[in-house]
Amino acid sequence: MKFFLSLFGTLALILFLDRSWTVGYTRIPPLGKFLDPLNGFWQNAEPRNHIGPEDLRVNGLKQRVIVQYDSLLIPHIFAADEEDLYIAQGFVTAQHRLWQMEFQVMAAAGRLSSILGPGPENAFIEYDRRQRRLGLPFAAQNAADMMVKDPVQKRMLERYTDGINRYINSLRYKDLPLEYKLMDYEPEPWTVLKCGLLLKSMAQTLNMGDKDIEMTNALKLFGKEMVDLLYPDPDCDIDPIVNNPGGWNFDAVNLADVPPALPEGLVGIDPMPKYDPDVGSNNWAVSGSRTATGAPILCNDPHLDTSLPSIWYAVHLNGPGVNVMGVSIPGAPGVIIGFNDSIAWGVTNAQRDLVDWYKITYQNERREHYLLDGEWRPTEKKIEEIVVRGGATVYDTVIYTHWGPVPYDRNFRGDEGLNDYAFRWIAHDPSKEATTFYKLNRAKNYSDFMEALDHYASPAQNFVFASVSGDIAIRIQGKFPARRKDEGKFVLDGSKSSNGWTAFIPFEQNILEKNPSRGFVSSANQYPVDSTYPYFITATEFEAYRNRRINNVLRRLNSVTVTDMMRLQNDNYNLHAAETLPFLLNQLAIDTAALRDEGPEGIALIKAYHKLATWDYFNDKDSEGASYFQAWWDDFYPRLWDEMLSHPVSLARPSEYNTVKLLKENRISMFYDVQSTETRESLRDLVRTSFATSVARIEKWKEDRELKRVRWADYKDTYVRHLARIEALGYHVQHGGVGNAVNASDRLKGPSWRMIVSLEKTGIKAYGVYPGGQSGNPGSYHYSDMLEAWANGRYYRLAFPKRPEEMQLYLFYETDLNPREKEN
Amino acid sequence: MKKFVIQVVVIALLAYMLELFLPWWSVAIAAVFGGLFLRSDANFWAGFCGIGALWFSAAVIIDLTSSGNLAEKVAAIMHINETLLIIVTTLIGALVGGMASYTGSLVTRKKAPTSG
Repeated sequence: MKFFLSLFGTLALILFLDRSWTVGYTRIPPLGKFLDPLNGFWQNAEPRNHIGPEDLRVNGLKQRVIVQYDSLLIPHIFAADEEDLYIAQGFVTAQHRLWQMEFQVMAAAGRLSSILGPGPENAFIEYDRRQRRLGLPFAAQNAADMMVKDPVQKRMLERYTDGINRYINSLRYKDLPLEYKLMDYEPEPWTVLKCGLLLKSMAQTLNMGDKDIEMTNALKLFGKEMVDLLYPDPDCDIDPIVNNPGGWNFDAVNLADVPPALPEGLVGIDPMPKYDPDVGSNNWAVSGSRTATGAPILCNDPHLDTSLPSIWYAVHLNGPGVNVMGVSIPGAPGVIIGFNDSIAWGVTNAQRDLVDWYKITYQNERREHYLLDGEWRPTEKKIEEIVVRGGATVYDTVIYTHWGPVPYDRNFRGDEGLNDYAFRWIAHDPSKEATTFYKLNRAKNYSDFMEALDHYASPAQNFVFASVSGDIAIRIQGKFPARRKDEGKFVLDGSKSSNGWTAFIPFEQNILEKNPSRGFVSSANQYPVDSTYPYFITATEFEAYRNRRINNVLRRLNSVTVTDMMRLQNDNYNLHAAETLPFLLNQLAIDTAALRDEGPEGIALIKAYHKLATWDYFNDKDSEGASYFQAWWDDFYPRLWDEMLSHPVSLARPSEYNTVKLLKENRISMFYDVQSTETRESLRDLVRTSFATSVARIEKWKEDRELKRVRWADYKDTYVRHLARIEALGYHVQHGGVGNAVNASDRLKGPSWRMIVSLEKTGIKAYGVYPGGQSGNPGSYHYSDMLEAWANGRYYRLAFPKRPEEMQLYLFYETDLNPREKEN
Repeated sequence: MKKFVIQVVVIALLAYMLELFLPWWSVAIAAVFGGLFLRSDANFWAGFCGIGALWFSAAVIIDLTSSGNLAEKVAAIMHINETLLIIVTTLIGALVGGMASYTGSLVTRKKAPTSG
């Protein structure tokens, strides 16, 4: 009896410790399994110089592949066979980033609740529904179907997938990445579809910006004239990407003269959360005629979430006909931004409106038919099955029309079924971006570069190019609908097929510039072109500051060196502040004598005023002026546009650039009044109130932290956050910069990869750094080893040997991947 | 006393070897074995000390030789500190080990019937 009690107790204890438990919304890992030092999380803790095995057997390889890691843990992969090269890339990437790759795919596919459960107030289920309703899995499937039609792409994607799966199959619980152990789940097999999901998730971050619903509401409330004043196209036309007036000598696609009718009603939809307009990037290339060495220099820094594990994974691929290095997206084969022996390339996001909303008229409640050109067309119903961990599966019916899915309806953020809008998004179209990167990785010159880009549709990017042979170029590449004036700014009537994207801009008419006389090309998400380009261009927002700063610096510099370029990428000059602050200070017209009598609050205002008046407009780490300005603007801007925020329907605020312009021109006085007060405010009231409020906020901030000064790095508090938002796995970093400075570093976003390539005939010299590290394992030294260099504007010289023997100086360790010997 | 020390050492060593191939709960097999075949006066404490010592020393060695401060991070996730994390780790292993070795010691060893 005693025995059975004891046996039962022991077994019960083991079972209890072998499973995870949820308390509230927190999942407690299986304590025995997780804490076991010989198999649990402790096994993820690595010594500083942890090295992998010398030899590994990998199924499917034809020949031996040499993988040499340098001191940053960047793999240099040498393969004698092309298929082996991609197996090795998949294998090695998974080895460092498996959890991240899979988690990002799960998020893109709308499957987060299958890992995380329903979440607080069903937040994860709602997130998953949103992804499904936007048709992310639909887009990825279209892309995957298209990709496997091309034998080269198919081979590359399938071998890369094999490599990932070989790695997954080799894992025991002990070897699983920490996050699997924490959240208590296991990796699934990888598929080509998942590569597609990753690319579409990138398109979602970069090419899904739109404010059509907000603009439609503005049109109804303010009228067309005011809309044109508040949201002009372009809102800043200074320094477009390509300025070539009269140089567009081609026959533009002829569209029907009648533009789509402007909508007349209000749209009561609660729009889904927007992508952040601060996601942007810089790139430029300087011609050899302007550099110290006579060789072109190419620079790129894409601004994305500063997250861990890092967004990018650096890799060097050496195989038959290819020797390329740069950064890859974990989960997609090849190099996305980088260089080879002959050329270098980089990307920034092409801010273009690639989203439209079409109002759908159903025949009746059953929603089986919708109106198109006077006929009732059948709809397609897709039942989305959302598996919820620890809960019942959720089913969500999404209706598809020829426009695309209908995300907003009576079941989702709609308004009693009055607002059925179909979603037309460029990334739903089949495309084959993998071919572009395959070819770019192997490109030898300008014409190879151009040919590679001819396969590229989405997400639209500004591709910068430079070659050892001395060419520089920039090409804005993507599949762009040819638009009539104002088309795409507002929601459209979905019952007329003529309102659709009837034609696309032919690729050879896309904006392009090669070897311009000014000796450099550049882009920073600004308006793309001069006014003589024959197509209408609009977007949610174009950048208006970084582009001008970059061009001003590049115009001024002579005998440009790599060091100059490092300085420019880390430039903290805040042009927005330089154009705004003098105006605000002038409006403030501070009366120091009167304030002095108001006690400590008055003194705080005087001090703040002096810090602002003497500020040099650089958002450097130690700057206090930068903090006071940001706090002031953050209060002033929403206070000015309170009409937009407080209205029951959704409205968009005019851009910061246009706001300042209109303020200086005194053309928006009707917006000065604050709606929530009874008095009638003037601009000076707004400026003064926001100044006093922001200074009080900073005083409070200082008091809470017991700090005497409000340094910009402390106030901004750059935070490199873990992908699953696990606080303890992220880092707070001391870093300068601000969204509209060249060093576009905000709290949670910033330069996610800084790259500088000098294309010298004697050999490429490349430098790079990103906010994180090669390993995705929080227990590795290489999880965050580049973070400090990144925060301080330092770079690593990238080792780029042609042969394994040349790696000796940089070699950390080598792993040979060997084919499994044939049985029998 | 000598018997007890041998019992502890054998349980720890056997558990270590089993854990090379089997999941964490294999420590219980080692402890049952120790309780069954190497009985002492304190069978619960033998498993408790054997597995506790094994997990404690493994955790401490890993913590001292690693460089990513993982224990500190995991402790922070669990809202405790690093020392407490090592103690909890040790106690969980020890408790399972103790109960298993005690269970093993309760098995009445009879000669198996020869006929079948």
